[in-house]
Amino acid sequence: MAPLVVTETFLPLVEAQAKARRLTPRVLVVPHPVGGLNGAELAGRIEAAAASLLPMADQARGTA
Amino acid sequence: MTDFDVAVVGAGVAGLTAARVAAESGLRVVAFDRLSPGGQLVNLTTVHDYPEPGGSAESWPVVSELVARAEAAGVTMRFDEVTHVRAGEPVRLETGGGDVTAGAVVIATGLGNGRLGLPGEEALVGRGLSTCAGCDGPLYRGKAVAVVGDDEWTAEEALELAELASAVTVLVPELPTWSAARAERLAAADRVAVVTGATVTAVHADGVLEGVTVRTADGERELAVQGVFPYVGRRGPAGLVEAAQTDEEQRLVTEDGVRTAVPTMFVAGDARARAGQTMSEAMADGVAAGQAAVAALRPVTGPSLTIVDPTSGVLPAEEEAGSLAGGTAGWTQVALFSNSKPNATELLQGMGERLKEHWQLADLGFASKPNASTAADKDTIDWLAQCYRMVLVAVGD
Ligand SMILES: Cc1cc2nc3c(=O)[nH]c(=O)nc-3n(C[C@H](O)[C@H](O)[C@H](O)COP(=O)(O)OP(=O)(O)OC[C@H]3O[C@@H](n4cnc5c(N)ncnc54)[C@H](O)[C@@H]3O)c2cc1C
Repeated sequence: MAPLVVTETFLPLVEAQAKARRLTPRVLVVPHPVGGLNGAELAGRIEAAAASLLPMADQARGTA
Repeated sequence: MTDFDVAVVGAGVAGLTAARVAAESGLRVVAFDRLSPGGQLVNLTTVHDYPEPGGSAESWPVVSELVARAEAAGVTMRFDEVTHVRAGEPVRLETGGGDVTAGAVVIATGLGNGRLGLPGEEALVGRGLSTCAGCDGPLYRGKAVAVVGDDEWTAEEALELAELASAVTVLVPELPTWSAARAERLAAADRVAVVTGATVTAVHADGVLEGVTVRTADGERELAVQGVFPYVGRRGPAGLVEAAQTDEEQRLVTEDGVRTAVPTMFVAGDARARAGQTMSEAMADGVAAGQAAVAALRPVTGPSLTIVDPTSGVLPAEEEAGSLAGGTAGWTQVALFSNSKPNATELLQGMGERLKEHWQLADLGFASKPNASTAADKDTIDWLAQCYRMVLVAVGD
């Protein structure tokens, strides 16, 4: 399993690439941008992304 | 079945790192060294430009850590000389302790000691000829010495000797390749003189070294020195590996990074043609060779995951498309794969920490692209696919 973290700006690009490669990745979308954020802002992004990641990972492990 | 999955020849920085990386993937790895582990590092008091350019570290703690990590990963250390390597399936090694077979081999023998290439020179080793300022410098306290070479490490050796010797003449065959900062330090050192375009044409001794003849554009002259430290004429391991392609310095030629024309043979560190001959590069080569060896053995142990590199795209085979999980890695094998964009690694590590806590994982694997604008290394992708059940990937910024 390979969850893909992508900012919303790059989501269309990822979807196009995934389609071309006949894949359906598990995507975690975070607000754009990530580069240039300060520590506190980044911590907020991590919290939000982890909140989506943990159930996704649990589900994958449970159904493996 | 082979004796080992991976055999590493040479337990210097490159070999110890390659062995550890392969062993961490669960492979049976043996590392051979004819001396002690650590290689060239054992001869250094201080490692310069490590861990970052301009930085420095004491060499012994670095060696201890490399050895401890390799042993913790389960690497078998053998202190035998490898005298012959026959690449193939399996790879066969002739060693001082008997023959050994392996699925893949990493050649990490470094380079031989510096030599002037002159008659009578070998008899002077330990009698005026040395290649280790850290070890032999104190023998030349208050005496005149010559240092022969042109690179960063020649300059550092000369500076180290200048703290003990009465005079240090640095003989540079053509022009120095050392940095401006080192040139400044040499110029500022009291007892150091640098002579460019200088070739040593003869050594003079009466049991011990008494002097050398030096040729420059102005002609030949005698230089009275009690010690000479050559860092030229270092040679790679040509002859060790059957039918290997080598360069003019007898280093092994690779096709693409650490890979050779033989799919199960890899070269890491100074033994590789075009290697930068730095500690950091040897370590990076070790990681690449360890990962490549694991990837090369993948058909034997089976992949656990297919990862598609979103930058350059490694197209999955028809039947693999859409089926991402399988193989042998368990759910404790989780890694992060960063695209090296600003904050991508921090974001992944933050999320990784949360998952680590949530699943009570001992640790997480980590890999990254060399930089944001180049494609991921195929060996890295293969290694992740081979060793991890889940890989969290960042693709966007
Ligand atoms: C004088 C000097 C000073 C340096 N200073 C610095 C510095 O300050 N900073 C820096 O970044 N780099 C420095 N370097 C470069 C750095 O030391 C090397 O790039 C690095 O150590 C190479 O590592 P390696 O693992 O490729 O080879 P090595 O360290 O040479 O290790 C090779 C190992 O292979 C073993 N071996 C060889 N043949 C066989 C065989 N047939 N069978 C079994 N074992 C074998 C050897 O015993 C050795 O242990 C210096 C180099 C020199 C010469």
